[in-house]
Amino acid sequence: MPPDDLQLKATLKEVGDLKAALDEHAIVAITDPQGRITYVNDKFCAISQYAREELLGQDHRIINSGHHPKEFIRDIWTTIGHGRVWKGEIKNRAKDGSFYWVDTTIVPFLNEHGKPRQYVAIRADITSRKLAEEKLRTSTKEVLDLKAALDEHAIVAITDSRGKITFVNDKFCAISKYSREELIGQDHRIINSTFHPKEFIRGLWTTIGQGRVWHGEIKNRAKDGSFYWVDTTIVPFLSDDGKPRQYIAIRADITERKKAEEAVHQMNAELEKRVAERTAQLETANRELEAFSYSVSHDLRAPLRAVDGFSQAVVEDFGTLLPEEGRRQLQTIRYSAQRMGSLIDDLLTFSRLSRQALAKRPIDTGVLVRTVLHELGSPWPDRHIQVRTAGLPPNRGDPALLKQVWINLLSNALKYTRKRDPAIIEIGCEQRPDGPVYYVRDNGTGFDMKYADKLFGVFQRLHRMEDYEGTGVGLATVQRIIHRHGGRVWAEAAVDQGAAFFFTLETEAPNHA
Amino acid sequence: MPDSQVIELLLVEDNPQDLELALRALRKADLANRLHVSRDGAEALEFVFGTGPFAGRHVAEELKVILLDLKLPKVDGLEVLRRLKADPRTRVIPVVVLTSSREQRDVAESYALGVNSYIVKPVNFERYTEAVRELGVYWLLRNQPAKVEE
Repeated sequence: MPPDDLQLKATLKEVGDLKAALDEHAIVAITDPQGRITYVNDKFCAISQYAREELLGQDHRIINSGHHPKEFIRDIWTTIGHGRVWKGEIKNRAKDGSFYWVDTTIVPFLNEHGKPRQYVAIRADITSRKLAEEKLRTSTKEVLDLKAALDEHAIVAITDSRGKITFVNDKFCAISKYSREELIGQDHRIINSTFHPKEFIRGLWTTIGQGRVWHGEIKNRAKDGSFYWVDTTIVPFLSDDGKPRQYIAIRADITERKKAEEAVHQMNAELEKRVAERTAQLETANRELEAFSYSVSHDLRAPLRAVDGFSQAVVEDFGTLLPEEGRRQLQTIRYSAQRMGSLIDDLLTFSRLSRQALAKRPIDTGVLVRTVLHELGSPWPDRHIQVRTAGLPPNRGDPALLKQVWINLLSNALKYTRKRDPAIIEIGCEQRPDGPVYYVRDNGTGFDMKYADKLFGVFQRLHRMEDYEGTGVGLATVQRIIHRHGGRVWAEAAVDQGAAFFFTLETEAPNHA
Repeated sequence: MPDSQVIELLLVEDNPQDLELALRALRKADLANRLHVSRDGAEALEFVFGTGPFAGRHVAEELKVILLDLKLPKVDGLEVLRRLKADPRTRVIPVVVLTSSREQRDVAESYALGVNSYIVKPVNFERYTEAVRELGVYWLLRNQPAKVEE
């Protein structure tokens, strides 16, 4: 073989090796000056997913992704049409519609007239890099969107590990009334309201210093001295060594809510103050009432005693000098004085009922009624009285006061049956849906129901003094005692048909202790 | 006031009408002989403790009962009672509160201070007379007084 042939052979071998190496490494295609594909290597087929037969004779529009603008494509053709090398990144579409990115170098080969006779395009697959870049771009954009949204919504500040402000958003500046320049580099003491105790601030720093999120409400002071409240979340961001490297504080303006809360708080305080004042007034009134009744008890009775005593003294010392009519008139004076004494005593007892505390205990009503009847003189040998007692269930109440109720009701029944023979007094209890109803019924003189509303009034009487004595306090006392026990009292009667008095006591829920 | 006569009963009463009625009731019961009347609480204490105008009078000497009104000028009845019952020399003298007040707090306070009896003066003179007579008979005639160790 001639040496030239040998050399040629060696050169061809070298070129062949290079081509093989290139095919191994790169995506290679060759097109004619019109852009029609004349050669593709295996890697080209593999990445484009087209068979060689499908590609040869086609131009590159077969793998056009539509991603690049027309100017971009035109620029490629202008460059290589002028015989210059073009380098760039191109997004292509494979046969199955998926996209891939190639780093592309297109080298034009020129003919003897200096016109491109073919183009060799060498490409490297950069799809994964491009996808990563795209992802990064997307997530960066998302972060920026979030930040924009956050800035729109919240008051945001970032401080470094030592608490120096490194970032504030517009809303922070707006609410604090400081400019960004005044805030950056400062710590948060610039907006400290001194409202919160030291322990509060210390607790905050301890929490975030340990890398934990702090949440709470903070009162701050703006540049003009006005105060504002912010609902605050501080999130510490840690460096690799686990120490906080910065803190991001996100706040919401809650000044209006706090103002409303303060207003409510103030109103409550005001209300409590007024209740306390009112209570004090009532206590004062009660004390005055007590002083009044004390004075009535003591001072009003003394002159009455003198009226009665000296009237009697006159009768004793000078009775023989007095005509019969004079002695009768002195007796009337004495009777009136004594009656006024009774009125005062009854009135005092009555007024004491509202001041005295209730001492509630279980009460055997049957025993109580028998005791009262006995004290009222049962069985009244000089009168013909039938007392009919039906079942009287036990109850709860103040024994002394309820005894007074029975005394008043039963003595009324005895009094107003005085002209009956026999007098009949029925004592019993009816079970009704809202609890037991105790009653005392008599066949006495009764009364006209049209005066029933006057029955329980103090000093109200439905009978003349000559017919039935009394001060008119008994039923008022009964009503007050029953009301204080949470019960009701009422009467049913007719003139000369007798009267019936009913009362209930508060029905207490059984105590399941 | 004859020194020779031993006083057995001290009546402390400021109201002149009440005083006259009380004396009338005591006379009726024949108890008004060995009686001293004090018109206010301060004078009553001076009499009992033998001070002021009563200097030289032996403390608690032969006093069998004190009838004490509660509403008194200068030193009121409850305070008189407190001082009498606080002193060992006078603690044993029976004290009967004789008052117009039927207020529960006066009754309770009197008994807390150690009163021996509490009587509300009735308006009715017969009952008043009867009450005075009964307490006079009881405390002056029937009751065996304690001997004061001195």
